[in-house]
Amino acid sequence: MKQWLGKGSLQRFFRDMNRWSVLVLIIGSFIGLPIFIVAYQLLKGPGEEWEHITTFLLPHYVYHTFFLIVCCAIGTLLIGVGCAWLICRYEFPFRRVLDWMLILPLAIPSFITAYAYAGVFDNGGTWTLMMAKLGIEVQKIDVMNLSGLCWVLSISLFPYVYIGARAAFRQHAQQFREASHLLGATERKFFFTIALPLARPAIISGLLFVIMEVLNDYGAAKYYGINTFTTGIFNSWRDLEDLPSAFYLSAILVLLIFVLILLERWQRGSRSYATVAASDGGSKRILLSGGKAWFVCLLTVFPLLAGFVLPVAQLLYWVYYTFWDVLDVAFIQLIINSFFIAFLAALLTTILALFFVYFSKWTHLSGVRLFARTASLGYIIPGAVIGLGVLISARMLVQGTASLFDLRIGFLLYGSMLTLVYAYVVRFFAIAHQTIEASSAKIGSQFFESAILLGKKPILALKQIDFPLLKTGLLSAMTLLFIDIMKELPLTLVLKSPDVQTLAIKAYEYIENGDQIDKAALPSLLIIGAVSCFILISNRWLKT
Amino acid sequence: MQYSHLFQTYLYKISLFSLSLLMFSACQEKTAEINLYTHRHYEVDKQLFAAFEEQTGIKVNVTNASADELIEKMEIEGDQSPADVLITVDAGRLVRAKEKELLQTMTSEYLSNTIPAHLRDDDNQWFGLTKRARVIAYSKERVHPDSLSTYEDLTSEKWKGKILIRQSNNIYNQSLLASIIAHHGEEGAKEWVTGMMENFARRPQGSDRDQVKAVMAGEGDLAIINTYYLGKLLKSSNPEEVAAGESVNIFFPNQEGRGAHVNISGAGVAKYSPNKENAIKFIEYLASKEVQKVFAQANYEYPVHPEVAASDLLVSWGEFKSDVLPLTKLGELNLNAVKTFNEAGWP
Repeated sequence: MKQWLGKGSLQRFFRDMNRWSVLVLIIGSFIGLPIFIVAYQLLKGPGEEWEHITTFLLPHYVYHTFFLIVCCAIGTLLIGVGCAWLICRYEFPFRRVLDWMLILPLAIPSFITAYAYAGVFDNGGTWTLMMAKLGIEVQKIDVMNLSGLCWVLSISLFPYVYIGARAAFRQHAQQFREASHLLGATERKFFFTIALPLARPAIISGLLFVIMEVLNDYGAAKYYGINTFTTGIFNSWRDLEDLPSAFYLSAILVLLIFVLILLERWQRGSRSYATVAASDGGSKRILLSGGKAWFVCLLTVFPLLAGFVLPVAQLLYWVYYTFWDVLDVAFIQLIINSFFIAFLAALLTTILALFFVYFSKWTHLSGVRLFARTASLGYIIPGAVIGLGVLISARMLVQGTASLFDLRIGFLLYGSMLTLVYAYVVRFFAIAHQTIEASSAKIGSQFFESAILLGKKPILALKQIDFPLLKTGLLSAMTLLFIDIMKELPLTLVLKSPDVQTLAIKAYEYIENGDQIDKAALPSLLIIGAVSCFILISNRWLKT
Repeated sequence: MQYSHLFQTYLYKISLFSLSLLMFSACQEKTAEINLYTHRHYEVDKQLFAAFEEQTGIKVNVTNASADELIEKMEIEGDQSPADVLITVDAGRLVRAKEKELLQTMTSEYLSNTIPAHLRDDDNQWFGLTKRARVIAYSKERVHPDSLSTYEDLTSEKWKGKILIRQSNNIYNQSLLASIIAHHGEEGAKEWVTGMMENFARRPQGSDRDQVKAVMAGEGDLAIINTYYLGKLLKSSNPEEVAAGESVNIFFPNQEGRGAHVNISGAGVAKYSPNKENAIKFIEYLASKEVQKVFAQANYEYPVHPEVAASDLLVSWGEFKSDVLPLTKLGELNLNAVKTFNEAGWP
């Protein structure tokens, strides 16, 4: 042990260390810094208001958060798995279109869905007006409460489960259907005993995404007045002016996510789900006809209507009479700015991830994998927490340079676009890392190694051999990043400063001011439009 | 593969372009200007700033964000801060800015003579520019004004299930409660909060406007709102909102006693203001008769200038007595108010 800790390990460390290891360590620390800083803040203990928070607020946070997790899990499972099954097993009108359109609810940030729903169903909303015009007395449908929030989150997040389940059903269902059919199993039995258990890992990891998004949500919960952990973090930071306690709330939240991830690992266990790759036998779907076919069509159309068409229709209605009030030079600048930030952050993340993937291949240092894992924790940590981590890091840097070198760079860094871009890189690094790692694994290392043997330098080999082969992977990583960054709210909200604005923030501000709620429609629709396009593009890529 | 080619060529160009953009924005020229940090988000403000530019040739660079963000920005920027003027929509945040030593004393005879003492800081670090009263909007159909009297009376049995008010994280509610703490102490405030909660018509949600809409829909009879929201509803281009506004009347509470709770939107000069003289000129402009008239007419706020009359609409609601509790108190008691709300469980 002593040997391992002492000279030996140090020697080994220096033996294995090369310049790539140094670069990996640098990139990794750069990405991981805010997370380490948050952890470090915890050592200082909670703030003055911690007791107040735990006595009066925490019980509400816990109750609401768990209620949301459970209900949204059930909701997204029912909708996501149900739709995926119908789409994969049956042939009915519009099936092909619905197949990809069911992903579209993901294009709307959940806080915008929440606000559109309120616009439809609240007092004086479109629904009430329409009913009044038709002369129908209806009970007000109250959406601005806990169950309303559950519905809104479920209907906007179910595509995560849908995508996972659909992929699994496509892969497995066909092979086993014939066998089970021959053995006399009914359709229901086949679904519950074969298809569903086989699809479980894919469904559960989709579900994990849903839960992480639920925990990450700030805008929808805030607007509906539901206090969750994430709104609590903002509350204790802003209203109670107690940042250390906000970190403690964050820590509980992150712990909760770790538990969920461990549960997911545990349920997957050591079982292996590898199957022979099957072609998508689209022709073997059960052909439905007549009323049954239309009924199934209606069933699958409903989530699309509720999760995409309804909110977008409400937004379009609002845009119709606020368009010219919102659109001015400053707004156009904001659009450009918003796209530019998203693009810059996506580009930077992709480049860093590319180097990180390759540099860690070229280093012999043990423990690099673990390090890579830590660096890509960002994605599971809620945006608000990352935001606070970056905020504190920037503050420390500003104070540090001010006191050590008497450099007043605070105003350059703090609340600037750079800080925000950096935070996006931290939060979404894992997405790029995973995508690029997967595509580079597909390429394999034989070309690269041959090049090295023939005397190429690694960087040149990367540029001339792997990079051209990786381009599709890089582009799809950038697309995914772009989608996530455009939709991101809580992190942006923490780091937004008067100088940095994004479309999501603009929409949120209009909603929050309460004064001009309908004006939020234009920025919202721009986000939805851009994200929809990118979702469609990436969908194409996934297919080819 | 075609995509990738495009990607490669454009990549360099875009990065170069963006770099040059950054450089360009970093080295713009300076003219006579002031940098305004404001939390006010009203359309009419933009026109007023444009008019100021035209009159004086001083350019107004507006930075719009919540007061908390603006204060934080000023703190971080320290003596490098470009901020000249800070405008907030409540006194509490101005008090906070003063406590953090972000403001400086202004010497302006005009402001000191024009603006009443309880609407400005003791050390003249900030001045109120407009007043807004937090009042009761009652259903014309279902409530007789004689049955209304004070904020305290809202907790009585007869209003069970009738009261509409927004959430406790709202600064206007926090200020109202801070004033109640100032008058009745923490225990009294706690009683008031629990009493109010027992009379809620529904769980607090939405904005002040939504409360009025809920009165029209019959969800409750009384809405606690800021005066200018009713003005905005009545002048809205949306007929539904006008109808909602018309379904209620305003009642100013506590007229026999301390008066209705009043808060301000106000301004102060930043401690490290690079353009101090222009900054004071700007605040004087906002307190001038013409501008006060605009605030009153277009945004339905009560002017602080004693010689400027409120808009016809506001006049039609009648004169009222306002609480003269020094507004500094609201800032000092804000945290207590937040905690009292939390302890009672007001969402």
